[in-house]
Amino acid sequence: MSERGFNAVSSVNEEIFTPLNHYGPVTGLTIYKKYILAGNGCILKIFKVNRETNKVSTVFSQQVFKRNKIHNISVSPSGERVVVNGGRSFAVLNLTELINSTDKIRITEKAINEWIITSEFLGENQLLILNSHNTIYHLDVSDKEPGQKFKLLDTIDCNEKSILYSGSIRLLDDGRILIAAGTVMSGVLIWEMNSKRIVHNLTEHEGSIFGVKIDRAGKYMISCSDDRSIKLYDFEKGQLLATGWGHGSRIWNLEFFKDSTGNVRIMSTGEDCTVRIWKFETDNELLIQEQLWENVHRGKHVWSGDIDDVDLQVCVTGGADGRIRLHDLVSSKRSTKDYTLDIVFEKAGIKSKKNEIIIEYFELPSLNYLIMSTSQGNIIVFDQVQETFTRVELASEETEKFVKFGLMKGFQDLNTVILCTRNGSLLLLKFAVGKIQPEKTWINDEYLQNNKVTNFMVEVDENRSTYYLFIDTPNHKTPFILRELKADRGQLTLTKTILLNQPHQTSFTTTDMVIDSTNNWLILGSRYVTLAVYDLSSGSEALDLQFIGKKLSSGDTITSVSIIESKHKEVSVLVTVRDGVYMYIKISQDEDSKFHLNIYHHNKVSRGFIEGGLLENQNLILYGFKSSYFYVWNETKQLEITSELCGGSHRQWELFKYENHTGEMDYKFVYINKSTLNVKEHEGRFSSSNYGLINDGTHGREIRDLAISPELLGDGSRLLMTASEDTTIRLNKLHPNGTIENFWSLNNHVSGMQRVKFLSKEYFASSAANEEFFIWKLGKFKDEIPVTTEYARLKPASDNPDLRVMDFDSYEYAHGFIIATVYSNSNIKIWLFDINSKSFQLVVDDFYATCCILNVNFIRFGDDIFLQIGATDGHIAIWNITQNLSQFTISQTTSTLGKSLIKQQLHQNGIKGLLIKQLKNKFRIVTGGDDNSLILSELTQKNNQLFFETLDFVEEAASSTITSICSAGEDSFIVTSVDQIIRKWKVSNGKLECESARYTTIADTGCSDSVTRDQDTMAVIGGAGVSSWSC
Amino acid sequence: MGKSSKDKRDIYYRRAKEQGWRARSAFKLLQLHDEFQILSGIKRVVDLCAAPGSWSQVLSRELYQNQNQPDAKIVAVDLQPMMPIEGVTTIQADITHPKTLQKILEIFGGEPADFVCSDGAPDVTGLHDLDEYIQAQLILSALQLTTCILKPGGTFVAKIFRGRDIDLLYSQLSYLFEKVICAKPRSSRGTSLEAFIVCIGYTPRPGWNPTLEMNKSTEEFFEGADIGKAGNLKFFDLPDPEERKIAKFIACGDLNDVDSDATYTLDSDSKVKALDPVQMPTAPPYKKALEMKRRGDLVRR
Repeated sequence: MSERGFNAVSSVNEEIFTPLNHYGPVTGLTIYKKYILAGNGCILKIFKVNRETNKVSTVFSQQVFKRNKIHNISVSPSGERVVVNGGRSFAVLNLTELINSTDKIRITEKAINEWIITSEFLGENQLLILNSHNTIYHLDVSDKEPGQKFKLLDTIDCNEKSILYSGSIRLLDDGRILIAAGTVMSGVLIWEMNSKRIVHNLTEHEGSIFGVKIDRAGKYMISCSDDRSIKLYDFEKGQLLATGWGHGSRIWNLEFFKDSTGNVRIMSTGEDCTVRIWKFETDNELLIQEQLWENVHRGKHVWSGDIDDVDLQVCVTGGADGRIRLHDLVSSKRSTKDYTLDIVFEKAGIKSKKNEIIIEYFELPSLNYLIMSTSQGNIIVFDQVQETFTRVELASEETEKFVKFGLMKGFQDLNTVILCTRNGSLLLLKFAVGKIQPEKTWINDEYLQNNKVTNFMVEVDENRSTYYLFIDTPNHKTPFILRELKADRGQLTLTKTILLNQPHQTSFTTTDMVIDSTNNWLILGSRYVTLAVYDLSSGSEALDLQFIGKKLSSGDTITSVSIIESKHKEVSVLVTVRDGVYMYIKISQDEDSKFHLNIYHHNKVSRGFIEGGLLENQNLILYGFKSSYFYVWNETKQLEITSELCGGSHRQWELFKYENHTGEMDYKFVYINKSTLNVKEHEGRFSSSNYGLINDGTHGREIRDLAISPELLGDGSRLLMTASEDTTIRLNKLHPNGTIENFWSLNNHVSGMQRVKFLSKEYFASSAANEEFFIWKLGKFKDEIPVTTEYARLKPASDNPDLRVMDFDSYEYAHGFIIATVYSNSNIKIWLFDINSKSFQLVVDDFYATCCILNVNFIRFGDDIFLQIGATDGHIAIWNITQNLSQFTISQTTSTLGKSLIKQQLHQNGIKGLLIKQLKNKFRIVTGGDDNSLILSELTQKNNQLFFETLDFVEEAASSTITSICSAGEDSFIVTSVDQIIRKWKVSNGKLECESARYTTIADTGCSDSVTRDQDTMAVIGGAGVSSWSC
Repeated sequence: MGKSSKDKRDIYYRRAKEQGWRARSAFKLLQLHDEFQILSGIKRVVDLCAAPGSWSQVLSRELYQNQNQPDAKIVAVDLQPMMPIEGVTTIQADITHPKTLQKILEIFGGEPADFVCSDGAPDVTGLHDLDEYIQAQLILSALQLTTCILKPGGTFVAKIFRGRDIDLLYSQLSYLFEKVICAKPRSSRGTSLEAFIVCIGYTPRPGWNPTLEMNKSTEEFFEGADIGKAGNLKFFDLPDPEERKIAKFIACGDLNDVDSDATYTLDSDSKVKALDPVQMPTAPPYKKALEMKRRGDLVRR
């Protein structure tokens, strides 16, 4: 290292790589007027929010820094200029130009000699930069000409140069300039710039300070630290006023509300993926948590946020998942309405008996009525506009029928509520505008005899021509009763009663029903994850069960069944299971009238119980309970729509969904908690603006592996699987322009992911720690949406599995796949996987050494099949497994590998990247190691003998660990390494040549895959984020 | 991960407990020594960011027992308190403070050190660029003190994370040492970015007199050293390209030695009982938050 010089492979022909799309941490966010300025890696993005329509559009997106991530964005007092900073870099830009220009803007990246904590304008032409050693650089930035020559006016410090994690600059109206500095280990320093005087040294926190701010008026200060608390101080006195506890891990960002007229309010975001709103009340030493949004980003870390509580009424957050989300402050301000039951009964004029409770609800949105039935048989109309409660006038013998039993359903379009008695008689109540008392109609039971009703359900067909009432009784010898009604000018009349013979099993407890209008099929969901189908098309009044699918998944009760697609003789339903599973199931009838059932999508939510679900504009909406609160979750977008702390699932509750006047879906959640009726309304302010998700992202944790499908889809895209360290796999489409569109997050794995690969067009597999190895089958929903279901799972060899399945490889054979799995304890296994029986048979079971195996490949030379591995000992080893395979076919015996044909040390330690390419009569093997080196070797076969020869060796091929290698055409390949440089290498005359090297902002660069068509390669690089490139 | 599963997953963790090392990192220094003989013949040693003290344990065992140098002097510095180790003077202090340097020099009787090491690492935030910057600052802080106390020809060893700008650091170190090697002991996990710079043959910069002063940033400290650090405050132009170098990489520890990435089956004897860690973890800053959570005082909303 004595000679001077530059790293030769740090920047080479950068133009060869064209960045297409980037999804990674959002580390800076600022709201300015109707604009949201965001730092997404090196890219500055500006979004515009339309105050009237709540639509959000992207007005600017361009890379502003070569290498550094944008950590901070600040606008000048006039709004004309904006400064962005990150790492040592900063740039002063013209905001008007950014917003209005449609072309690429010329940007001059500037830098100082230190990490920049923050920067602020002082007037329009001066800039203050706070560096990580608590020093202010005061700059003249008046030069607006290209190339911008800035001048250092002053360097200012307070004689305390502790290293900082955080800091902010506050310019007060009285001209004071205050620096709030959050140090790595000695608390918060507040100093005044002009006097260089330390005003406060706040030491109440423990650990590093991650955020500190002074409010606009200079009255308060807030800070947060490693100790997971938020502290509010009186600025003048430097006195601690209150502490906020609640965050489950570190807090990264704090903002004061802009409105300073009432109580002091603070927004906080952190590692625990929550946004919290805090309120300070004088003389309360605890900050009150007013609002909590959980899981606002995937994985971990909300890195950035800002709030505008005055004008836009939103807060915005940016996460490690690369997503930017808007959170509505308007609807969150509106609290849940509550009415104690005493008041409800009193207002309704009911002399309530002891323990009388509300047991059922039904919402009539067009009348704004909430109809409620009580345990004493009373029915109450709650006019939600007038806030009046009225008892429905029933004769005492009518009321008597509903004492301690009364199931209530209804049809919102008909303003009709239907109650079912224990004996199966039905009371129809038709409500109308201007009349609080409904019209009553009874349908008396003639079928149940002495049997009792266990369930009462209603449905309407999609043309709203037939209304169905269904009654379930526990005696399986007594048929279910299905009544068909027609509506004439809003009035229901019974037209037909069908008796459905129950499935022949002791217990079939129905939980939901749906009518497929296309085929006239009735589909019933029940406990034990069982579906039953009746064909109503015959018109007969007594029907037998047509089909039953039992125990379709793990779990207990089906909580909802809804139709998602219907064709002639074929219907797809969404089935939700309370335990958290949801499925897309196809029920079809063949030419011989035989029914078939196929689960083509199966997944589960990462936590919580599902009480129901629906498909809304291609978004799968699920709702249910998570510990003590109720949630509505958009599974497609992976975001919570609303939630309510209601005390948990053991209560009377109902969720009503309806479209509001702007066509967006609103929700009303009604529940009883502590003898109080609660009505929580949610307005989807941003529902039609992609649910407030203004920038899409990826996993919120490091991506460990990714794979592009061999199949080119009709829309020009390919499937892309990404697997992250937090156990999730995402199923995406990689579009021709490099956009990555996510469809599903798969949660079947329970330990950290290692690998994901395609076995064929139709199957992919994934491996993880705890010996998890799953095979998945792919499918399509509505021809365009990829879906998948876990197809088979390899049983762990040990009862207490602790091995990592480090890698696998496969090839197709007549009945399935031959699969090799390699493990962290040096174990190598080869399996015969039969697709029909879904069985794994062990062909080879052996150990390599005592190290950890990192990769495995099958190599086929003519009729011979070889197995190659690479390990942490820097060796590659190759065996001929042709015998093992044929021996297994004959005798079904598991064998060992025997002596390896090749065992060659290539690297000093772990072989992390490996690419095998078949050439004419030989294989090219390129390996990259933890030792920074890249090696080119060849595998040839002569006279039945295998030869391994190393052709070239580049010792310094990267300045850090090489992590992956993927193909880029015939003789080129792409190499990723942790130094965040992606390189394209070429084999030329048996030598390795670095064609291009370019920086990527994706840290922990660890995996890649590529696809080459007509000389053009598109590569996807994964790590702490994911990016697509063409080269 | 429970105690015993960590034993299985991490063979060095288990071994450290068996052999009485305070942390598994002891093996990293041992393997670095096996490869480079960096501890041979050294007398005055500074262990920076030393807590919990496993490197000081290694130094103590090596210098006093193996090399039988009763007059050797080992100083361990950390901001955290440390349990005493035989033959090691522990100082609870800030390594950037001039007084700390003074104290060490007093213990050494005014003589320079033969060897300075640092196994320190900050708590990571997960924001890679920030974490790598803070780690680089920690190394530079250790290097500041090193340039003030290390004898010409002496050795400096420090933990690094091989992230995006590690080649900048290699380049800067190459001005100060004859040899700069990036070493990866087998006991350091292959999945981790961790490695160690072994800087051999300290060569003081001609005409530069390093002086530790209160309230001088690392940037200011190295200003006159001319080690290729970009520090342009003239027109604030982005230094591009910067001086970057790749240090020679050496994996150390015997290939046949155990592998920290591999899973091992414990022999039946040791399976019976999971060993307690030698040194219990220190109280984290969020201790109060954890206690409140346990008591149910952290209301969700």
